[in-house]
Amino acid sequence: MKGIFTLLLMGCLFVGYSQNPNTRDLVYRTFKDTRVINTQSVETLPARKLDIRISHRFGDLFGANGGWGTFYGLENAADVLIGADYGITDNLTIGLNRTKGAGPLTRLVNTNLKYKILGQGISSGSPVTLTVLAGSSIATSKKIDDPELLTSFPKTAHRFMYNFQVMIGRKFSDRFSLQLTPGFVHRNLVTAADENGLFSLGLAFRLQVTKVLGIITDATIPFSSLRTTERGYYIPLGVGLEIDTGGHVFQINLTNATGLAPADYIPNTRSNWADGQFRMGFTISRLFNL
Amino acid sequence: MKKIIPIFLLLPLLGLLSLTEFSNSLGNIDSQKPVREVLTALGEPQPDHFISSMPAKASIEIGENIVFTGTAESVSLQSPHFVCTSCHNVEKEFADLRDTDPQKRLEYAVENDLPFLPASPFYGIVNRTSWYNGDYEKKYGDLVIPARKDLRAAIQLCAVECSQGRLLKNWELESVLGYLWTLELKMEDLAIPENEYPKFENGNSKNTASLIADLKSYYPQSSPAHFVTPPEDRRTGYDVVGNAENGEKLFNHSCLHCHQDQRYSFFELNDSKITKKFLGKHFPKYSRYSIYQVSRHGAPSHPGKRAYMPQFTKEKMSDQQIEDLRAYLE
Repeated sequence: MKGIFTLLLMGCLFVGYSQNPNTRDLVYRTFKDTRVINTQSVETLPARKLDIRISHRFGDLFGANGGWGTFYGLENAADVLIGADYGITDNLTIGLNRTKGAGPLTRLVNTNLKYKILGQGISSGSPVTLTVLAGSSIATSKKIDDPELLTSFPKTAHRFMYNFQVMIGRKFSDRFSLQLTPGFVHRNLVTAADENGLFSLGLAFRLQVTKVLGIITDATIPFSSLRTTERGYYIPLGVGLEIDTGGHVFQINLTNATGLAPADYIPNTRSNWADGQFRMGFTISRLFNL
Repeated sequence: MKKIIPIFLLLPLLGLLSLTEFSNSLGNIDSQKPVREVLTALGEPQPDHFISSMPAKASIEIGENIVFTGTAESVSLQSPHFVCTSCHNVEKEFADLRDTDPQKRLEYAVENDLPFLPASPFYGIVNRTSWYNGDYEKKYGDLVIPARKDLRAAIQLCAVECSQGRLLKNWELESVLGYLWTLELKMEDLAIPENEYPKFENGNSKNTASLIADLKSYYPQSSPAHFVTPPEDRRTGYDVVGNAENGEKLFNHSCLHCHQDQRYSFFELNDSKITKKFLGKHFPKYSRYSIYQVSRHGAPSHPGKRAYMPQFTKEKMSDQQIEDLRAYLE
């Protein structure tokens, strides 16, 4: 498994070295932000830009835990992310954030390293933008002395989870962009009935409606016989509006995913749109020149 | 042998002819001769910002790097928001330096593939005697007082206030100044009729003052700056008819210089229909997206996000040109 990913990453890097993204005219901004809704987009930050981000996922809008009793989820916080990304070069972004966590592991400190290998050419060159991401999450919640629980953390290493993604995006026109995201999540500690590694495929698109307003959608399909609706797992699916006023991207969305970190929402989405278990969420992102 | 001798005789003659054909001189004054040198020969003292020698660490190369990239080796960026060339060209902007009509400036920019920018070009800026003129006092208050008569002070004012960066260290400042001196006006840049040249080379003590004044009349000593307002009624606009073709030139050479691919601005513009429709729709509105608004008042900086858009003075963009932009975008 690890060998396949190593080969995939090496292959991407080889292609990257042979086609430097800076050497020709490239399509600009396949997506407006470095995230779509739940998934990362192919975009990296320009060099020396700091992106301060705050994301929020409220409680269920409807269903047993929603409705008037929770003011349609607004009184609950399924997950909250506070963090920052920084563009080291135009093609390399690093990020650090903290999420509350919505799965069995909580108080997550997440890091990510994102590298744009290929840029989509305007008239020639690559037909797609290709970006790879490696991320880690460490659960910083208290150790609980119960070996039945994941939070017993027998070893420090058991607090760690990792995710790897290859984002392949194409801007088809000024209005429409599409992205595929094969990914892999590895959790160091899972229950006996679960599996450590989980492959997934993300699908995202962006439809630009006006100069400042776009419609975004993403979904991530986990490939595992253990992640089926019969077992109570659902595909994390989000739809949203994105408002870009220049230096300030505001996103409001609806999603059934509760977590914000990839190692959290990809294996742990147990909310069903059909049962009203989707929530409102938003992201505020502000760019600073450093 | 008889054939070889004439060839040997002809060769030097051809050489002389070619020199005559390609030499770049105007009378006895070399066309590449700096205007300052001619003025000095006529008795004009060197300006205070003239550099006869550079301090340690300073160099023209460092100055050029700072102007184009905002940094020199091992020092922090002068400004994280702008570089000098965000707003200043380093090339000449007019065929005849005396004629500063904004439309002629645009035509020259299009012809020479230059951006059409809100600030004065660096080319020939050392030949000026005053900076931050006119209404810049309204914007920067007393800060313009030293900058008006001192190019070093003007550079520092630009570094801190205009580019929202830090003061240049002395060696950086001298480096920038050194680079600017490489952009001083040459005699060929002035639209001096050929028959006028001899008087500048043959000046004598009796008429040097008038010769100096005459020579200086071929280029501006300062750049006038008048802040003007958007039209009173933005729906009807300025009282002129816009030319969309000219507006397209302005959009490509001015707006896109900073906004395309978010080069200097967080607000991205491109030549897509979505962008043009948006700008056209907001043109007559009283909003920060109105080009009437931002071209005449600029866009403000905010704490923590200090990048801003400078306004265009009347001299840098005419009312007619703004209506041309509107005609193109609507």
